[in-house]
Amino acid sequence: MTDATDTTAGDFTPGEGSLLQRLCNEARWGLAATRASILEAAHPQIGAALVDHSTFVAHPWRRLRNTVVSTQRIVGGDERVRDKETARLNRLHSRISGTDSRGRPYDAMDPEARAWVVATLFESTVMMCRLGGEPLDQAAQERLYAEFRALLGHLGDAGGGRLPATLAEFWPYYEKTITEGLENTEAVHAVLYRLFAEVPAPPLLRDHPATWAAVRALAGPLATAITVASLPESYRRQAYLTALPGARVLMHGAYLTAGLATRWLPSSWTRTEVLLDVLNLGPGPGQGSPVVDSLRDHAGKVGALLRLVTPVPTRPGTGGSARRSAERFFAEVLDQTGDGYLDWPDLAAMAREIASRLDLDEQAENRLFTAYAAWWEELRTAMDADGDGRIDGQEYATATTLAGRALIEIAEILFDATDTDGDQAISPEEYRVLFRTTFDHDSAAGAPVPLSRSAFVREFLAFMAGRHHSAAYENLLTQT
Amino acid sequence: MLGLPRHVACVMDGNGRWAAQRSLPRTAGHKAAETAVIDVIEAAYAAGIPWLSLFAFSTENWLRPDGEVDFLMGLVRRTIRKHALALHARGIRCRFLGDSDIRIPPDLAQDIADLTTLTRDNGRMTLTVAFDHGGRRDIVRAARSLIRNRVPAEQVTEESFAHHLPYPDTPDVDLVIRTSGEHRISNFMLWQVAYAEWTFPQVLWPDFRATHFWECLDSYRGRERRFGAVRIPTPTGKS
Repeated sequence: MTDATDTTAGDFTPGEGSLLQRLCNEARWGLAATRASILEAAHPQIGAALVDHSTFVAHPWRRLRNTVVSTQRIVGGDERVRDKETARLNRLHSRISGTDSRGRPYDAMDPEARAWVVATLFESTVMMCRLGGEPLDQAAQERLYAEFRALLGHLGDAGGGRLPATLAEFWPYYEKTITEGLENTEAVHAVLYRLFAEVPAPPLLRDHPATWAAVRALAGPLATAITVASLPESYRRQAYLTALPGARVLMHGAYLTAGLATRWLPSSWTRTEVLLDVLNLGPGPGQGSPVVDSLRDHAGKVGALLRLVTPVPTRPGTGGSARRSAERFFAEVLDQTGDGYLDWPDLAAMAREIASRLDLDEQAENRLFTAYAAWWEELRTAMDADGDGRIDGQEYATATTLAGRALIEIAEILFDATDTDGDQAISPEEYRVLFRTTFDHDSAAGAPVPLSRSAFVREFLAFMAGRHHSAAYENLLTQT
Repeated sequence: MLGLPRHVACVMDGNGRWAAQRSLPRTAGHKAAETAVIDVIEAAYAAGIPWLSLFAFSTENWLRPDGEVDFLMGLVRRTIRKHALALHARGIRCRFLGDSDIRIPPDLAQDIADLTTLTRDNGRMTLTVAFDHGGRRDIVRAARSLIRNRVPAEQVTEESFAHHLPYPDTPDVDLVIRTSGEHRISNFMLWQVAYAEWTFPQVLWPDFRATHFWECLDSYRGRERRFGAVRIPTPTGKS
């Protein structure tokens, strides 16, 4: 092998012009990333961690957004941003460990598992280029592999971690892991059959459940068919995933179309930002580049058009009550992982979301997690009637209130973290960072501007007690 | 002889009388008005008129019986949704001149906002629908806005005042068509109609069609506009 492939860890500089950055910034990389995530979910350790901790089933769009933003930070040119993001990712993953349903331990920091994540992303990217009609030649593949290895090195796995040193050694490792290391895990089926079939409406279509149901009835099975057909044959056999007749053609067509679109359409249409923009998840107007703003403009028009051409939705009587049912609050806010129970991973997911919104440093993040852990202790003692270590909807409904001392502590920490200039009040700007929305929508509900500490704590408690709707907190904690 | 008017406005009057003549409920008259609206938009579009304004619902109309108001709101909503795509496809920019009154049902407000968003970059023709509009209110608002922006008194001119009206890019109205033979202004775009020519066709609005519209255009072109002067030296094609 040439020296070029033997990149050692530490000198990871994707920056402008690297293959990794170019390919990750193409919207079609979503196809590759989806496929890779299935192969990751098939890894017993990763699969177990996903099932226990990930919010992808209940809040897929938020999860997608976080992933895209994180990827862009890592492959982007700014070294400080990159270092900060990798440190954050490592802290996040170090909190994820446990035992799976068969009693085997898993740990998100396991070097084997981390190497596999990078391996699937590399292989899926190579495949994306091949099926897109523009295969990477040997030199390019070696360069890309070196970049991915360096990425793993940058994440802290010295010397490229458990990834083989050269591309020639990579392929046997990949084949071997597929046939021997993967399993027919619950997570794979959760993604392929639950997520794709039940994915909640993206923000743009949230007000049009009927339209979304119609789109999903077609797109869900299609996404499953395309993803299944793109998996390696040997894994499909092992996991009893049958590729439907015609699915391979469909899959080839999808990759080829995406490849051609990337080549022929203006690049401003086919970059990852477009994806975010169409999903209407990006930062508020005036935040992005002119391109993003113009895309937002288009997205706004598409949204307007969709709303105008869809039949008038029959609106169930809202009743005008601010009180929401305990059941809905449990499902939409508390049960972040969507498994029907409230347990530590749900609270950890909330803390994670808040920490990434506010871009907390290590110390503040630890403080937040400690407060959430204390809240969890409080909840479990108060509500877990049958002592199974988790709270189900029934137990929650019969309990009196969620708001205890620990929750007040969380509100205080949230206030401190949001109040970045330390003037003991949340300015409209600080509010926007946390909630990605402006004040005045909510000020009708009684929140004065700017928010004082006590008003902030009160609003937070009212929301968490399930007593009040709050567009702002719903955006933060439920946005799917 | 004058050229084509740049800005034509229609006061859509006579729906109630049209229904009464046929012993139908007033709402039937409003319903029949939809055809006339679409016909006039098409006729103005075909004639190449760049600005068309329709006076649909005034602030005073809230005083009508509740049932009729509700019906009107529903009708406007259905009409918007039915024709949104066709309007957009023709390159017509749609705007609504009036208040975001809380009495407008949220569904309708959303549709109005959507139609405005969808068509905001179109350039063939601008259709302004005066909905829940009051001419005096607009003027009062402009005055308030001047005061709020601390514009010194000596800087308030007709021109600078107009900048504080809603949609300041709207040119003055050249021709107002008020159907059903009524001769009133009814608080409609008071500022913009200052030098407008008026026609008062006898036909009731639900019966108003493209041919009537053309007749009004012809009558306008035969007039001599003087803008307050005794005589204009050379009639301009544009105004």
